[in-house]
Amino acid sequence: MRQTPVTPVYIVCSPRPLVGKTLIARLLSEFLLLKNGTVMAFDVNLKEPSLLEYLPDITETAEIDDTVGKMALMDRVIICDGIAKVIDLGFHAFDAFFKMTDEIGFMKEAVRRGVSPVVLFVGDSDRVSARSYPMLQRQVPPNALVTVENEYVVRGELPEALAGRRVLRVAALPTFLKTYVDRLPFSFTDYLRNERDSSTELHQWIRGNYLKFRELELSLMLQGS
Amino acid sequence: MAKPVVIVVGADKGGVGKTTISRTLLDYFSANNVPTRAFDTESPRGTLKRFHPDVTEIVDMTVTSDQMKIFDTLNSASPSVTVIDVRAGLLSPSLASLRDIGFLDAAKSGQITFAVFHILGPSIASLDEIAETASFMSGAKYFLVKNFINDTQFFQWDQATYNSYFHRIKDATELTIPKLNEMAFEQVEVASVPFLKFVANKGSSDEAANYSFVLRGYVRHWLANVWSEFDRIKLTDMIGSGKAVTRGEK
Repeated sequence: MRQTPVTPVYIVCSPRPLVGKTLIARLLSEFLLLKNGTVMAFDVNLKEPSLLEYLPDITETAEIDDTVGKMALMDRVIICDGIAKVIDLGFHAFDAFFKMTDEIGFMKEAVRRGVSPVVLFVGDSDRVSARSYPMLQRQVPPNALVTVENEYVVRGELPEALAGRRVLRVAALPTFLKTYVDRLPFSFTDYLRNERDSSTELHQWIRGNYLKFRELELSLMLQGS
Repeated sequence: MAKPVVIVVGADKGGVGKTTISRTLLDYFSANNVPTRAFDTESPRGTLKRFHPDVTEIVDMTVTSDQMKIFDTLNSASPSVTVIDVRAGLLSPSLASLRDIGFLDAAKSGQITFAVFHILGPSIASLDEIAETASFMSGAKYFLVKNFINDTQFFQWDQATYNSYFHRIKDATELTIPKLNEMAFEQVEVASVPFLKFVANKGSSDEAANYSFVLRGYVRHWLANVWSEFDRIKLTDMIGSGKAVTRGEK
C-alpha cells in the first residue's frame, strides 16, 4: 500500500506583483506552525514585501538566479522529513522557478520521495496570469494546483480560465484591518491567542482561513492514502 | 548472426567533447540493453575508462597489436557494438589505418556496420576536418555532431560555407548536443560515474550516493535531450532490429 505523503511543500506564487502572495504565505506558515509546531519558509521574494520580515524565525531567503541557489533551495524542499515547507515565490522569479522545476523533474521526484507539492496560484484578472496558468496546468497535477481567489485583488469574479479543480477563496479585509495586519510585528496566531473577543471580523477572518488550510491539507492526505 | 557495429567518435581538434559523446553513447546502449564494449585511445590514461571501467579498454591505435585487439575480435567478441573514442588529432590517421587494413572495404561491402561521430568545434578548422574525413566515408554512416557542451558558439561559421562542406558528403546526418549545466557537468566529473548512475544517485559500485537532486535533474533532462537525438537518427536500428529493448520496457 502506498504510504501517505507526509511532507507538503506549498509554493505560493503569481506572475504578478502585489496580489497578496506574501499575505497568503504568512497565513499559511503561521497556520502550519500552530498546527505542527514547526515549518520552514523560504522567501524568494526580494523585490516585494518580504516574508522574512514578518516571520524571521522560520524564514530563510532563497535565490534561484544561479545553480548554487537552486541547489540550496530545491535540495532541501525535496527531502521527506515531515516538516512542511512554504515557498513565497516572487513574481520576478515565477518563470525561472517553474522552468527549473520542469527541467529537474521536481513534481515526479517529489511523488517518488513522499513529498507533496501544492502550488497555490494567486489569481488575477490580467493577461499575464491567464497565460501563466496553462503552463502550471501542464506541469502540476490537477489535485496539487490550487487557485487562490484573493477577493481583495480579484474584485468580481475570478476569470473562468483560472478556476481549475480547486479554488481557495480568501475574503477581502476592510482597508483599516488590512493596514493593521500589514504592520510588521503583527502575527495572526498571536492575535487569535490574545484577542478574547472571538466575534471580531479579523478573528473570524483568520479562523476561516486557517480552517480552509486545514481542509486543503486533509484533502491532500486523503488523496495520498 | 547480427553484423558487428563499430562506432568511432573523434575529431582532429581537442576539447570539443568527444569523450562526453562517447559516454552518452555507452549510457544509451546500456539503457537499451545493447551489450557494448569501448576502446579509449587516450593511452596511457583514458578518460572514458575512468567513467566506464567495466566495458572500456585503453588502446594505442597506432600500434598494430592494439589494432588487432580491436578489429580481429569484432566477430568473436560477444558485445556486437564497439565504441572507439579516438583522441584528438588521431581521427584522420585512424581512418587512414582502417582503410589500410581493409576495414573500410569490409564496411562498404556490408560485412560490418561502421559509423563515425565527428565532433565539430567552432572554428573553421572543423570544416576543413569535414572535407578531410569525408574522403574515408564511403560505406560509413557519417554523423556530424555540433556539440554545445562546452558553451561552444558556432558563430565563426558562415552558414553558406558550412553547407558547402556539409553537402559534399552524401548522407551525412547532423546532430546537435545541447549544453549541460556547468555545475552538473563538474559534479559528474568529480563523481567519475556514468551519467546514468549519477541520475540514479548511485556511486561507481552501485552504492547509494548523495548527489544534488537539482544537478541530477539537470543531467536527466540533458541526457533525455541527447538520447532523443540518438533516437532521431535511429541508432538502435543501426545495430539490428530485435536487439534493442526500449527504455520504457526496461
